[in-house]
This record gives sequence, structure tokens and C-alpha cells, in this order.
Amino acid sequence: FPGAGVLAQLEKLEARARREAVEQEEREQREERTALLRSRARELRLRRDELRRKLREKEGLRKAGTAADPAHPTPRDVLEWRIRSLRALLQLFHLTGISGKLSKRGVCLTLSTSYEGSHLDSFHLELLARPELRIQRHSIPPFIPLEQLSRRFLPTDLRRFLALLSQHLNAYVGRRFQAEQFQERFSDWIQGTPQRNSLCNLLKFSYSLSRNSRSFPLQARLLYRDPCRSLPTEVTVCCSGEWAPL
Amino acid sequence: MDNNAYQVYEDEIQALEEEIKLLTEKYEEIQQESTFFSEEEILKSIKSFQRETQGESRGHESPSDLKAQLESLETDLSFLMKLTGFQFTSHSKKTVERTRDRTVQKHRLSGKCHSLSFQLEFQLLEMQSKEKVSSVVTDLNIIMESGEDSGVSKFVSSVEERGDLLTFFRSLSTYAEWFEHRRRTFLHFK
Repeated sequence: FPGAGVLAQLEKLEARARREAVEQEEREQREERTALLRSRARELRLRRDELRRKLREKEGLRKAGTAADPAHPTPRDVLEWRIRSLRALLQLFHLTGISGKLSKRGVCLTLSTSYEGSHLDSFHLELLARPELRIQRHSIPPFIPLEQLSRRFLPTDLRRFLALLSQHLNAYVGRRFQAEQFQERFSDWIQGTPQRNSLCNLLKFSYSLSRNSRSFPLQARLLYRDPCRSLPTEVTVCCSGEWAPL
Repeated sequence: MDNNAYQVYEDEIQALEEEIKLLTEKYEEIQQESTFFSEEEILKSIKSFQRETQGESRGHESPSDLKAQLESLETDLSFLMKLTGFQFTSHSKKTVERTRDRTVQKHRLSGKCHSLSFQLEFQLLEMQSKEKVSSVVTDLNIIMESGEDSGVSKFVSSVEERGDLLTFFRSLSTYAEWFEHRRRTFLHFK
């Protein structure tokens, strides 16, 4: 068929036209997208430069010791400044160990803990005020004697209650932190996994010491009898097979 | 090939957005730290704020919202001061370093716990790693009024060495209460 050749040719031309149209569209999309990205980048660069300039100016004013803005602050500015200052002071209370917020029916307290300079866990207590001060909800772990402390000191002596609870919590978190750090830092020295209970007042681990090409397998057991302290009260070390009093 | 070109722009955009965020935070911080308004100015502003913006919003919080926020913060603060005995008389903080996952701020704080005054300064390092924020206190310096008591000065030195700000505050609270109790008892007998 002479028509077949022509048809095939037409089909080829159609296909090519379609291909080219698609490529053209793709090319236009790419260009559009590139243009968008370029203009966004330029916009951000301008904003960044403006901020850098304003910051330099501000720092210059501060170094010169001159007062803040020559422009007059609006009442809204003053109030927003005051709100930010108060928030900063409330944040500071967090560093003292006891912070919180009043609620409609009582107060939500946050007890923060730390070991030396490192801030660790925070625990929460929600207290109801009426008919008398009592605990509604809390995030205190079960092995802390919360029930005993609240029975003994609430509702009359909230301060004492919080001081003692804070002691228990800080000591527990301190012991746990030390055990974790110990496991991390002395991992080549320790054999197996150190064992400890939830309150972290009992710690057992095995390690070995080498002297004169002999190695001594040792087990240590640390007991912390005082739940309010993060130092052990009793340490026992024994060598497998040989009991050597410390 | 073109993906690479996109990537270059997208990386630049992300870096710029982060830098803008940091610069804005820094600017607002300096603004906050270098400003001070007295109690009088604050009270005046509360009154005039209510008067002039009756019903106006414009994307800002309404005057009653701001006033409510202010009052709630002030009651919380006064409750904590009564509960813990801590009163902060002055506080200043300055950002010493700020990157995407690390912020170091220098704090200067003075106040009293019951009748015992203290002044302290420290650096607070906050690090963001994975989803946890960890904060560490360093360079702790404490000045206590009752420095004559050798027990107090020994305690203060050991706490400074360990950067243990929390223990300082908790122990100060207990000590100040006892001190206050003793003072009142002695006054009773005068």
C-alpha cells in the first residue's frame, strides 16, 4: 500500500510534534521554577541583609551605652516587654527547683532536678486547693515515697513536703545519672551489664583488673541506704573465688 | 542535572531562612535586654492601652488578652515568691553564643531568700540534640551577704565548683527559713 508509507511518516511526524510539545512544556516549567527559586533567594538575601544592618546598628547603640530606641514605645510595646520580662523570671524559678502555675482549682507545680551542673528530669504535681490541699495528679515514679510524704506533711506544710520530695527526686535522678555515666565512660572496663534496681540505690557490676599479666575478675556492690543522698553508704568488692574485705 | 541547580537554590534558601531566624531572635533579645520600663510607665501603659484600642485587633492580641496574660503571669510569680521565699530583685541575661543547636546565655541575678541576700552570675548552655534539650550551668559565681559564716562560704565554694545552682537554691531556701526562725526567736527574747 502506498498509503501505508505515508501514514507511517505522518505518525512519526505526529509523535515528534507531541514529543517536542512535551519537552517545551517541561522546559517552561523548569524555567518558571528556577525563576521562582531565584527570586525567593533574592528576597531572603535582602531581608537578611536588612536584619544584619539593623542588628549592627542596635549593637552599636548598646556599646555606646545610649538608651534603646529614639522612637517612642507604644503602650503595647511596654506591656509586651513586661510580659516577656515576667516570663523570663518564671523561667528562673525553674532553675531553683520549684516552679509552677496557678490553675482554676489549685496549682500545677514542676519540680526540677539536676546533678552538679547538668539539668535532668522534671516532675509534675497537680494540687487541688479545696476543700484542702491534696494531690490530684502527678508524674512521680512509684518507688518515691510520695504517699508517705503527703500523709505526713499535707495539707498544712506544703513547703516541707516539697523540700523533702525534691530531695528524694534529686537523689534518685543523681544516682541514676551517675550509673548511666559510669556505664558509658567505663564501658571497656566493665564486664557484662551493670545491674540496678528502679530506685537506683543498689548497683552491682563486674569488672576486671590486670596486674603482672594476671587478671582479677571483681564484683562490686554499691548500696545507697539514704534515699535522699546520691552517694553510696556501703561498698563491697569481692574477687571471684577469693573474698577480700575492703 | 537540573535537579542539582534546584538543590543549590534550595540549600541557599534554607540557609538564609535559618540565618534570618537567628538574626531576628538576636535582634528581639537585644531589644528586650536594653529596654527598661518602670512600674509607673507600665501602669500608665495599661490604662492608655485599654483606652485607645477599644475593639481593635489587626492580627495582634486584643488588649484584654494582653492584660489577662499580664495579670496571670503576675499572680503566678507572686505565688511562687510566697511559696519558695525567693524574691528576685534584678535579672539580666545576655546571649553570648547562638547557633542552630547551641545557645549560651550569661545571667546576672540578685535577690533574697527571706532575709538573706545573694548575687550570682552564671552561664547557661542549652544544647539541642535529637529531640532532647539539655542544659548545663557553668562559671557559677555566688556572693552571699552572710559571708562571715565559714560554713556558708565553704558551702558556696563547693557549689560554685560543681556548678550546682539547684542545690544552692534548695539549700539556701532551707537555711534561710531556719535563719529567719532563729532571728524571730531571738527577737522574742529581747
